Amino acid sequence: MAWGFMFFKPSHSVGERGNPSGLRVTMENAHNEKTTTIKVNYLARVEGEGNMYIDIEKGQLKSLNFGIHEPPRFFEAFLRGRKFSEAPDITSRICGICPIAYQMSSVHAMENALEVKITPWIRKMRRFLYCGEHIQSHILHAYLLHAPDFLGYESSIHMAKDHPQEVEHGLQLKKIGNEIMEMIGGRAVHPINVKVGGFYSAPSKKAMRDMVPMLDRACDMARAATKWVATLPFPEFERQYTYVSLHHPDEYAFNEGQIVSNKGLDITPAQFNATFEEIHVEHSNALHCRFRETGACYYNGPLARFANNFDQLSQGTRDLAREVGLDRIVSNPFKSILVRCLESFEYCKEALQIARDYEEPDSPSVPVHPQAGEGHAWTEAPRGGLYHHYVLDDEGNIIKAQLTIPTSQNQAMIEDDLRALVPQYIDLPDDQLQWKCEQAIRNYDPCISCATHFLNLHVKRS
Amino acid sequence: MRHPFFKSSRQKVVSGWFFIGIGSRFRGDDAVGCLLADELAAAGLAAIEHSGEPTSLIDDWQGPERVMLLDAVFSGAAPGIIHHFDLRTETLPAAFSKPTTHAIGIAEAVEFARALGKLPPKIEFYGIEGQSFDYGRSLSPPVQEALEKLKGMLLKRYGSG
Repeated sequence: MAWGFMFFKPSHSVGERGNPSGLRVTMENAHNEKTTTIKVNYLARVEGEGNMYIDIEKGQLKSLNFGIHEPPRFFEAFLRGRKFSEAPDITSRICGICPIAYQMSSVHAMENALEVKITPWIRKMRRFLYCGEHIQSHILHAYLLHAPDFLGYESSIHMAKDHPQEVEHGLQLKKIGNEIMEMIGGRAVHPINVKVGGFYSAPSKKAMRDMVPMLDRACDMARAATKWVATLPFPEFERQYTYVSLHHPDEYAFNEGQIVSNKGLDITPAQFNATFEEIHVEHSNALHCRFRETGACYYNGPLARFANNFDQLSQGTRDLAREVGLDRIVSNPFKSILVRCLESFEYCKEALQIARDYEEPDSPSVPVHPQAGEGHAWTEAPRGGLYHHYVLDDEGNIIKAQLTIPTSQNQAMIEDDLRALVPQYIDLPDDQLQWKCEQAIRNYDPCISCATHFLNLHVKRS
Repeated sequence: MRHPFFKSSRQKVVSGWFFIGIGSRFRGDDAVGCLLADELAAAGLAAIEHSGEPTSLIDDWQGPERVMLLDAVFSGAAPGIIHHFDLRTETLPAAFSKPTTHAIGIAEAVEFARALGKLPPKIEFYGIEGQSFDYGRSLSPPVQEALEKLKGMLLKRYGSG
């Protein structure tokens, strides 16, 4: 039946553009003052189900909230009592689009807890795998979910009729991302070759070399994609963000490094909970993250990686960035689609290099011995940082698990963007305002299915 | 130990019918497309299993001139009902899409291919109405019965024997 994600709105969904059964109520009180409420019950073309409420009173934004109403999924509770070795496979089921991110954060956190040192081969092949996931996720989002917003199309199917070559490139690039994941992950959706300590099996040198021509073409297509996306009409909208991401001095950070910001933050993943907190807001099943000390929200995702790791990009990617008019700090969130394409170009080049240089290892994994411990990891999912924290008992069973996902980390910032955006476009007709808001939410490529991960439940019996 | 690098069952044919059984073997009646593909392949027909991932699905039907999609559907009809559509001239009903806002069904993949001019010259769809899509379940009795019926019909029509 259905698979994975949506890039075309099913006819039964409500709140569709052009025919918004999403509720719009305009009331007039005794003083002839108009109050408008726009209520969109289903947001299409994002992962999972979210809603958005905007109240406008006398031409002023009165209140706004972006809610995620996917039910809680209790994965953290599922993990308790399970073996450390089960975490990569269990957590990868949280998302069909970014399963690698869950596998990477879980294996790194477990290896942190169990004091495991991986080999350079494992490290490189994890980057290869992550390249595949980022390419397929970014291209899916850019071409099939977000680009139609900029060009005024109802869906990518409508867009494909007028831009077949571009969409064709998008489909091919997404497929190449999948094939990278299949090569080292065993399959593209919920890969099965990742384990704590490395991989179950290694691909042959021939299989990796055979990918080289395809990856060579992918670089050309990703370059073309970046240039095409740069021609989209970007709404005028500038923000001053605190960009939070992983940073590594020697590479464009995926798996390892410090959590940094453009405003001086520099912490280890183990300091995550001392620095950030997750809070529950009434209107959403997904927790909101913020700085513990100031309560301020922050941006994580492509713009943050780009800002904090610009110097770690290859020269070719930095040149392409300048060619399409991007500086290190991209303060227009609508340009996140452009940074996604630029990152895809970088990942295609890295995957190509890894395939060219590939040698078969003596062993695809290192031994892992269960012991009591506590481990933390932050890795970069396509849509932002994914933090995992585990506590293990003497036998390596999970006592505690915490998964803080990118959409939770970005949800407060999404609302903040909308509060700034709506006044700028408040005079637009409601359907156009709704369009603009949905487009702004998609700047974050939110994965709402992942975001409903934990809720404290209190039962009162009398 | 698991060996992840299984041989891809993908194959290309340029003549004759190419059957693509779509679904997951682990989700009850959703396995019916895969099981049908098994049966047809065992009878010597060109048949593969597919998860339904849209880009590789569209890719898999490039080359073959005649493609038959076999899938479970959930439209509200009686379990075991067999639906048939000629996708060159018909679109799959929206009811065949999985009722979530984040899933793409085969219906949307077909329309995407149509927009890009990537439909094969002949492409048809057989869908068996499912009853239960729970993990770990085997086929429900009406779907098992429909599988046998559709298999018999396809083998009679397209089988060499």
